Amino acid sequence: MKKTMAGPPATQAAAAKGRSGAPQQGKIHPVVIYPFRQPTDYSDLEALYQLIARLDSDQDRYARPITVMDRKTYFAMERDKAFVDFKKNIVTRHSDILDAWCVDTCQMWYSGLGLAFEQGSPEHVYWLIPGDFNYGTAVGQEVLGRLHDLPEIILELEQDLCIGEIAADHNNSKQLIDTYGTFALLYNWFPAEAQEIRQFTERPRSEFFAVRHSFLGEVLTRRWYAYEQTVVMLLQAVFGKKRISRFFVGNISDLPEGREPLSSAIQQVERTERVLKALWRERNQSNAGWIDQYRLLETQSEQVRRSALTVLRNLLAA
Amino acid sequence: MTAFVPRQTLRAVNFICNAPQARAVTLVGDFNAWRPAAHPMKQMADKAWLLTVELKHGHHRYAFLVDGQLTLDPRAQGITRNDKGERVSLVPVS
Repeated sequence: MKKTMAGPPATQAAAAKGRSGAPQQGKIHPVVIYPFRQPTDYSDLEALYQLIARLDSDQDRYARPITVMDRKTYFAMERDKAFVDFKKNIVTRHSDILDAWCVDTCQMWYSGLGLAFEQGSPEHVYWLIPGDFNYGTAVGQEVLGRLHDLPEIILELEQDLCIGEIAADHNNSKQLIDTYGTFALLYNWFPAEAQEIRQFTERPRSEFFAVRHSFLGEVLTRRWYAYEQTVVMLLQAVFGKKRISRFFVGNISDLPEGREPLSSAIQQVERTERVLKALWRERNQSNAGWIDQYRLLETQSEQVRRSALTVLRNLLAA
Repeated sequence: MTAFVPRQTLRAVNFICNAPQARAVTLVGDFNAWRPAAHPMKQMADKAWLLTVELKHGHHRYAFLVDGQLTLDPRAQGITRNDKGERVSLVPVS
């Protein structure tokens, strides 16, 4: 009789065949979005590009990183020696710079992810890394150590989209915008999909994410909205029954240059509403009687937006 | 000469489920093929349930079965779905 060793649970766990033990064949394409406004202190960017240097040196696992830099950023800083040196000695050394005229950060995403997609192949994964966070702090270093999990989750667990979530207190402007603006508007225009999204994330506008080649191809070639692209991607993922994951990347706050005053918060809520309206029309305008339903939702949406602006004004106005 | 083969290192991971009223809690996940009986958890003095499992490097999907009910870990670092489409928790092992 063949004797089977019944080891302790721990041994069984290690022996069990899990997905995480599967070999990974997909290459990861890091895409860095360089800050639109150059910070005067380079410590956060230096910390970020230490990570990018490590990725750049691991050519088996990572494609050559891409840094998307707005031409307006360049022209604003072209006579600044510290900037020119940093660009030449750090950014260019460890990444390919994509110079582009962009109306906003979302267009920088579109340009960078689009270029990476053209260089990729079906088993590849694309990893968006925003440049305007406080990576130079102790907490930021911890976050930098976790960001790699996003593309790895896509590869190991065969996911289509992995959203990185950052912790923020309830009165943080991002939290307020998402709670009273983004989700409230989503519940109006796409209630079923909004519930599905919220089962995964409280940050539907997160700038940290990784996406599989096939799904990125879908969202790039469909109409890609001018702003709030994470929200649109999440909606497209739910529409298409894609595999979504969320991963906590830590506690991190925006750099002072990127923090949102009331005017910016209002603008973001209004942008979200415009995107959701356009997306709703695109999906429903072939249905008979869509215009009546649209008008009803639009009226409700205005009420939601006004309520959100009241909350934001009460809490963010100086 | 024997070729160098990197060791599949294991790392001990503590799973804690706060379900003081539960009669039985087990840990299920990719690492035990989601078999309910594979990893029973032990109730501690503070009534929380604990199990230490050694896992390989990578990302593992898991959940608690609290009296047979699939339950997410509120302390988990991530959320995803298992092969049945159920929401489950995610733990990274580095």
